[in-house]
Amino acid sequence: MTPTPETRSPLTAAESGDGRSGEPETARPAALVLDRASVAYGEVPVLEELHGTVYEGEAVALIGPNGAGKSTLIKALLGLVPVVRGRIEVLGAAPAQARRDVAYVPQADTLDPDFPVSVEQVVMMGRYRRIGWLRRPSAADRAEVAAALERVGLAGRARDRFGTLSGGQRQRVLLARAIAARPRLLLLDEPFNGVDAVSQHAILEAMNGLKAQGASVVVSTHDLAVAHLACDEVCLLNRHQFGFGPTEATLTPERLRATYGGHALELRGDRVIVTQT
Amino acid sequence: MSWLDSTVHRALVEAAMVGALGGVVGVFVIVRRLPFFTMALTHATFPGIVVAALLGLNLYLGGGLFGVLVVLAVVAFSRVRGQDFTSATGIALSGGFALGVVLVSSQDGFSKDLTAYTVGDVLAVSTGDLAITAGVALAVVLVLALVGKELLLAAFDPTGASALGLPTALLDFALLVLIEVTVVAVVPALGAILAVALLVGPAATARLLSDRLAVLFPVAAAIGVLCALAGVWVSSQWNIAAGASIALLVGLVFGLAFLGSAVRGRAARARAAGPAALPEEARA
Repeated sequence: MTPTPETRSPLTAAESGDGRSGEPETARPAALVLDRASVAYGEVPVLEELHGTVYEGEAVALIGPNGAGKSTLIKALLGLVPVVRGRIEVLGAAPAQARRDVAYVPQADTLDPDFPVSVEQVVMMGRYRRIGWLRRPSAADRAEVAAALERVGLAGRARDRFGTLSGGQRQRVLLARAIAARPRLLLLDEPFNGVDAVSQHAILEAMNGLKAQGASVVVSTHDLAVAHLACDEVCLLNRHQFGFGPTEATLTPERLRATYGGHALELRGDRVIVTQT
Repeated sequence: MSWLDSTVHRALVEAAMVGALGGVVGVFVIVRRLPFFTMALTHATFPGIVVAALLGLNLYLGGGLFGVLVVLAVVAFSRVRGQDFTSATGIALSGGFALGVVLVSSQDGFSKDLTAYTVGDVLAVSTGDLAITAGVALAVVLVLALVGKELLLAAFDPTGASALGLPTALLDFALLVLIEVTVVAVVPALGAILAVALLVGPAATARLLSDRLAVLFPVAAAIGVLCALAGVWVSSQWNIAAGASIALLVGLVFGLAFLGSAVRGRAARARAAGPAALPEEARA
């Protein structure tokens, strides 16, 4: 499932090393604040003691094995899973209050491929929040949908049924749906799982485009190469936080080994392959 | 003398309305994969109808109120962690129907009416019944026009809908109530056992013919209307049960569409002749 980092060619202009090492500038407001936060379904805590800050225009990768709580953290950022201790602040508000400016991209394979809905209908769902109840999409909404599809390279597939597209293309459609919502914070749940190289490239491009416009990105992934390429920060997770900080400095072999609990294999002293995800 | 004074005329109007209603609401039943729940609802409203008959109340009101109770019970049960919606539905189906039979059988001289409740009698509809069906149809069209896009999103991507801040639990409940009132309107014509035919068959047939939601609604409604009208006509020509005739025609049309799409699918696969060939797409 997880390609090794070595096999990837650089896909986009990675923005690492551009002064990320210093302290965050106070001019940029925080998009996301985790303040000793614990998240729980009912009584059982899923994630404990999360602590860190992501600033506007930055991307953070959530890295950890399956069942580590990455999806749960994303749901907590949407206000769908409660914070039982500490505090999570999204765009300066409680998570549920920030939803208007947050877009969520689920894993494409969690959606029913038989559902009779076209690509453009799926992308239009991203506009619902702005269209509001009881109203129909306007010409401006349609233009936003077309522009969003253009950005993920699927302008020609607008009228096709969603389920007839490949897994990677469906993931791009869901990303276009998020783009059409014009979010200030984008949450992506494992967008690179089972995705072809073309789609991966398109997704990374679109992520970087949103960042350039000042939006922040949270992306959960198994793919350390993605973290290196597109993310300023990483958050290492496995029920607890095993590190949160600038990508290069945080993705150390020791931390990865601790996060993956022995399923990490070291190569030549500076590279790590995760053997089980 | 009104045109509606004729039993057959009333039956035709009722059949056309329940056919259209069943077809339109059926699209949601199909895309949400709720045929089994619908089946359960038709059976579970049965005791409400019997109680209403015993108390001399309106049968629709009795069936409708009882149906809402069943919807609430099923939703509440399946929201409890670890409980399965299908199990709750199965229990509601058998339990509701059994309660209806018990109530009917406890009444002397009441048991011969059991047939009317279970397989319906579209030829017995009154003008009052017609008004109620028309009211339900109007309400359903109104709800779909107002919150159709939200119901669609909640059906396709529940988590995405919650992430947008939509009240998904409320939307789910609204959809189940929509199905429930449709069931209540259809049951007098087709009966508790056969009503599910109109709520599943036309939409499932339309789904075989098209991938587009905008097409599914009118096509399902048209199939429902045609089957219902033809069923009443067949029944009046040969003096056979109307509800069963409608249900049989629905099944026949579905069978033909299924054969047609299977043949088309084979042809499309033969044309594509590659391992990457996806299921055929009905594109103009």
